Amino acid sequence: MQRLSVTPRADWRAHVEGDLGFAFHTIDGALYWDETACYRLTAAEVDEIEDATQELEQMALGLVDRVVDTGEQAFERLRIPRVAWEAIAASWHSKERNLYGRMDLAYRGDGPPKLLEYNADTPTALFEAAVVQWDWLQATSPERDQFNSIHERLIEAWTKFGIRAKRVHFAAVRDHAEDNGTIEYLRDTATQARLETARIAIEDIGWDGQTFRDLDNLTIDVLFKLYPWEWLVREEFGQHLLSGAAQVIEPAWKMVLSNKAALALLWEMAPDHPNLLPAFLEPGRVGGKVVRKPIYSREGANIQVVDTGRVVAETDGGYGAEGFVYQAHVEMPAFDGNYPVIGSWVIASQAAGIGIREDTTPITRDTSRFVPHFFE
Amino acid sequence: MKKSRSVRLVLLGSAGVALAACDDGGALPANAQFYPTVNECIAERGVAQCEDAKAVADRTRATEAPRFSRREECEQEFGVGNCETRQTAGGSFFFPLMMGYMMGNMMNGGRYAQPVYRGPNNTAVMPAGGRLLNVGRFDNLGAGRAAFRPAPQITTVSRGGFGGTAANYRTVGG
Repeated sequence: MQRLSVTPRADWRAHVEGDLGFAFHTIDGALYWDETACYRLTAAEVDEIEDATQELEQMALGLVDRVVDTGEQAFERLRIPRVAWEAIAASWHSKERNLYGRMDLAYRGDGPPKLLEYNADTPTALFEAAVVQWDWLQATSPERDQFNSIHERLIEAWTKFGIRAKRVHFAAVRDHAEDNGTIEYLRDTATQARLETARIAIEDIGWDGQTFRDLDNLTIDVLFKLYPWEWLVREEFGQHLLSGAAQVIEPAWKMVLSNKAALALLWEMAPDHPNLLPAFLEPGRVGGKVVRKPIYSREGANIQVVDTGRVVAETDGGYGAEGFVYQAHVEMPAFDGNYPVIGSWVIASQAAGIGIREDTTPITRDTSRFVPHFFE
Repeated sequence: MKKSRSVRLVLLGSAGVALAACDDGGALPANAQFYPTVNECIAERGVAQCEDAKAVADRTRATEAPRFSRREECEQEFGVGNCETRQTAGGSFFFPLMMGYMMGNMMNGGRYAQPVYRGPNNTAVMPAGGRLLNVGRFDNLGAGRAAFRPAPQITTVSRGGFGGTAANYRTVGG
C-alpha cells in the first residue's frame, strides 16, 4: 500500500458537480474530495481486505443471532432500549434484508486488517466511494482496476427486497447536505432497480394514527432512513416504527451492530481473531494504550486515547451518555503525515469495495478527506 | 476485475434534470380535486392549468389504462356496467368507464392529473404508482360532480415526531 501524489484534473470541480451531482466535495470551506493524492494497493492486499471484510460480516451476523437468542442480558450490555428488543428479534427472525454497512479498518499491508468499528446502520461516504472515485479512475487511467463494485451491487441488492409493488421513501435530516446527497444517490440506485421512490425530510414524516404519511398524505410503506435507529426509537413516533407500521431499511436488527459495545461482544465471541482488536465494556482490561469510545457516537466524536492512565489524545462532541467501550490501541498507518482509514463496504452483506478517508491526526473525524485508490 | 463495469446515474448530475419531471407520477397531492369535465376544472383553476392537466390525464388513459379483450374480465375487476369498448390501433378492447379527472398541484410545482374510473360498488378508482387507488365513491350511479363523494380525508396527520435528536448533534451519518 502506497500513497502517491498526483495532479488533480483541471476541471474536476465543475465536472463532479455538473456531471455527477456531487455537491459536498468541499465541506465548510475545506477540501473533502481530495484527488491531489491516491492510494495504490496490490491485488494481494485487496484480496486480504475483501476476505477480512467477508469474515467480519459473517461474525457480525453471528453476533446478532447470539444476541437475539440470549435476549435481555445481551440487549442490556449493548445499552439497547427495552422498547426495541421485541422489534429487533422480530426483524431478525423474519430475515428482514439489509442494504449496506461500512467497516472501518486499520491496514497498511504488513499485517491483517483490524476492525476499528462497524457503521452498520447509517454509514456515509458512499457516493464518493461508489461513483466519484470510480469516475476519477475512468478519467485518469481506465485500464487500472479498483476494489469497487458498490454501484452495481446496490442496484442488484434493491431487486432482492421484494418491494416492487411498493414505493420507497428516502428520508434524511432536512438541510444536511452530505446526508441528503447520500440518500439521493441511494434513490438513484433504487430507481435503476425499477423501484418507485420518493423523498422526505425525517422531520416531515406524518402519522395519522395508523400509518406514516408523506407531505402528499401518501402512505409510507417502506422507509429508507439515514437516521440512527437508536434516535428513532426514543422519539415520539418511534413506537410506531417498532410496531411495524412501515418496513424500515436498514432493518431493526442492525441496532445490535450499530453501537460500539458490539465490538466488545465480538471480541468475547471470537477472542484473538486476527481481524479484531481486544475490546471490553469495562476499563482496565486492556494493558498499555487504550482507546475509549462512546457506545453511541459518530464521526470520531468523544474519542479518548489513554496511555497507562494518562489521556494523550481526545476529541470533543456530545456523546457518551450510554457509557463507553475500551479498545486496544492500534498504531494507525501514516503516509507523509496522513492517517488513512479503509472504509470497507458490505452491500447486502457481501464485501463490495473500499473508500479511503484520511486525516492529519490519528483519529478520523468529519473533517477528514476522501482520497481515491486503485490496485494492480 | 473488481470495479463496476459501468456507473450510470439517472437522477443525479446532468442526468437529473431531464428525469425530474417524470418523478412522483403516482403521488396524490393533498389539494387534488375531482372534476367530471375539464370545464368544471377551468371554472376553479383556470384554463392553462386544466388544459395541461387534461392532456396529462388523457395521455395516461391512452397509454396506461387497464385494457381487456373480454367484457367479463373487465367487469370482474371494475364491476358490472362499468366497462366500455374502444377502438385502438391494436384492435378493439374493453376499458373501465372514465368518470372524470383528479387534478391538483404537486409539491414540486408540477401539474397533477389522473383519469378517474368507476370501480366495483360505485367506487371511484384512479391509477397511482402502478396500482388502483380508491379515491371515493359515486352516489347512485350518478356521474356529475355532485355525485362524487371523496374518500374520508385524513383529518389529523401529526408531524414532527421524528428528527428531534439530530438537533442536539452536528452530524448524523457516520
